[in-house]
Amino acid sequence: MLAFITRRLLLLIFVLFGVSVLLFGILMTFSPERRAATYVTSPQQAKDIPKIIKQFGLDDPFYIQYFRWMKEVLKGNMGWSLVASRPVGEAFWNYFPVTLEMNLFAAPIVIIFGIWLGTLSGIHRDTWIDHTTRILAIVGWSLPTFLFALVLLMIFYGYFQLFSPGVLSDQLTMFIIDNPETFTRFTGMYTIDGILNGRFDITLNALAHLVLPVSTYVIVVVALNMRVMRSGMIEELSKDYVMTAQAKGADKKTIYIKHARRNALLPVVTVAGQLVALSMEGSIAVEVVYNRHGIGWWLAESAVQLDMPVLMCICLFMGVVFVITNLTLDILYAYIDPRIRLN
Amino acid sequence: MSEPATPLLEIKDLHTRFHTLDGTVNAVDGVDFDVYQGETLGLVGESGCGKSVTALSILQLLRCPPAEIQGRILFEGNNLLDLDREGIRKIRGNEISMIFQEPMTSLNPVLRIGEQIAEAAKIHKRMTRQEAWRWAVEMLRMVQIPGPGSRSKQYPHKFSGGMRQRAMIAMALSCNPRLILADEPSTALDVTIQAQIMSLMQKLKEEFNSAIVLITHDLGIIAEMVSRVVVMYAGKVVEEAPVKELFKDPRHPYTQGLLGSIPVIGRKEQTGRRLQEIPGIVPSPMETPLGCRFHPRCHKVMNRCQEQEPPMIHLAEHRRVSCLLEA
Ligand SMILES: Nc1ncnc2c1ncn2[C@@H]1O[C@H](COP(=O)(O)OP(=O)(O)OP(=O)(O)O)[C@@H](O)[C@H]1O
Ligand SMILES: [Mg+2]
Repeated sequence: MLAFITRRLLLLIFVLFGVSVLLFGILMTFSPERRAATYVTSPQQAKDIPKIIKQFGLDDPFYIQYFRWMKEVLKGNMGWSLVASRPVGEAFWNYFPVTLEMNLFAAPIVIIFGIWLGTLSGIHRDTWIDHTTRILAIVGWSLPTFLFALVLLMIFYGYFQLFSPGVLSDQLTMFIIDNPETFTRFTGMYTIDGILNGRFDITLNALAHLVLPVSTYVIVVVALNMRVMRSGMIEELSKDYVMTAQAKGADKKTIYIKHARRNALLPVVTVAGQLVALSMEGSIAVEVVYNRHGIGWWLAESAVQLDMPVLMCICLFMGVVFVITNLTLDILYAYIDPRIRLN
Repeated sequence: MSEPATPLLEIKDLHTRFHTLDGTVNAVDGVDFDVYQGETLGLVGESGCGKSVTALSILQLLRCPPAEIQGRILFEGNNLLDLDREGIRKIRGNEISMIFQEPMTSLNPVLRIGEQIAEAAKIHKRMTRQEAWRWAVEMLRMVQIPGPGSRSKQYPHKFSGGMRQRAMIAMALSCNPRLILADEPSTALDVTIQAQIMSLMQKLKEEFNSAIVLITHDLGIIAEMVSRVVVMYAGKVVEEAPVKELFKDPRHPYTQGLLGSIPVIGRKEQTGRRLQEIPGIVPSPMETPLGCRFHPRCHKVMNRCQEQEPPMIHLAEHRRVSCLLEA
């Protein structure tokens, strides 16, 4: 077990190296002038561009630039973010809680709803329950996230004046900025910090701001989970051991929950890795549309402004997320499937 | 063996149909036979003749497409087909249990063996978790699995085919059922294991005083294990006889074909033999031939066999044959 984890963490190094080389290579296809232009803030400075290229070695060979970047990263210096106008590392910890908070609320809903609805439609195959969840899944799966987010925003905020975008109302945000001594930002997540500071109004307000993003996100991401669970249930219910359980006199509930569902959960765990990928994609659109300044929003802004250190940092972050998620899933898989041994 | 007067199970004019997209499949088409307490009844016939469907109809385990079951299945005098879902559930695994052919797939891969054996006792005998588990270990000991305590905590993939079938037997016996339906319980196992499984079943059957309906292709097993044989062909019973008489004097040309030319019970080459190949193919249940269903393959076919359905002719007690040669 320990050896398995160690091996996977060693793999992480290769993954991080691989993805960073890849992204760095892609970014290098922009001309040195284009990359130097990001340091320029006014038209008068345009003449400085050749100087900037020289100064930062932007026309050096690819590998030299890459290793220069890596040396800094290993020293703990991720660079300067133009978008955030502060060091990348510091900016990261500023944006990360916003994304994490949304995921903390969305993930359990996605998992529970996906498994529950998938089980239901697998059991009640070809009934109205199945058809309803199928339509929901197709809508969630095929509509682009940003479009879906915009529609919800238009209906609920634009029309009913409910659930405004952002993470917190302006009034409360100002209050927190003005009174750093009465409101401590323990986690950076307002729902939790509100409770820790005894300010439940802040928690409630933050929750209200989470309703639309989390709903969008859940509807978009839940579909995959649900479909996999449904087909898993249908497949498992046709297996011989289900007949054995029936022949023992087990009732429907026992057969569905104890026998079939436990087996049907296995493929759900396998696609959970894809769910993480989906939620990454989802959080970009959701954060941009609902104006939540998290990692997804930061990534979108930085991509537009060619904020290279940020792009590289998020790329490394995603590599870590993927490897850790897959490691966790493999351990979970071995835990629920007795046939799998980790080695 | 002297049999009690009333049978434990009476099947009367059983019809089981599947309504599929391609049409109606008459898998079982008017079957009747009795099973007496404590006896072992053999059910033989070529593949596809409806043996499994008959057994599954008894416990109403046929799922999709939904099967239409008609006739009467009297168990201790009560018609099982009149029971509602709860009623039949209380019979399954408790009064009547089933052993399936495929030990590799018939156990749930993610549940411990002990848990799976304990399940029936928990359902029907209202045992607590611990009691049922202890009982499961006891059952594993009874089916001669070494180290039953530690084995009960293992998952099915650690068990060999023979051990899984022993576990299935333990499961089937765990509520001390009156009747066990064993659908080719040893077919999937290799020969030496087959013999062990069959003798174990024989021994436990006597200990538990259960009756067995044994479905098999193996005439050696029939000769050794059963007291009476029902021969099926294309969804119908064609012959019934006590085992000795069947081997000595098979009346139906189909049975004669199955047994080969000169069957003598107890002769060396007799045991361990599979059903003989009979030329021709089993008719599909969707297009059964007119007249006698066996006539296209029968070597004693007469003109009237093609038009007239043969009646069931009772020759003696538990001795009947459905052939126009006897009429
Ligand atoms: N669920 C079903 N739907 C449609 N037809 C079925 C179904 N189950 C069985 N049948 C048909 O019923 C007939 C009898 O099948 P059954 O499984 O009882 O045969 P069997 O005598 O047990 O054969 P085997 O020795 O191969 O096990 C077969 O022709 C089969 O195709
Ligand atoms: Mg069969």
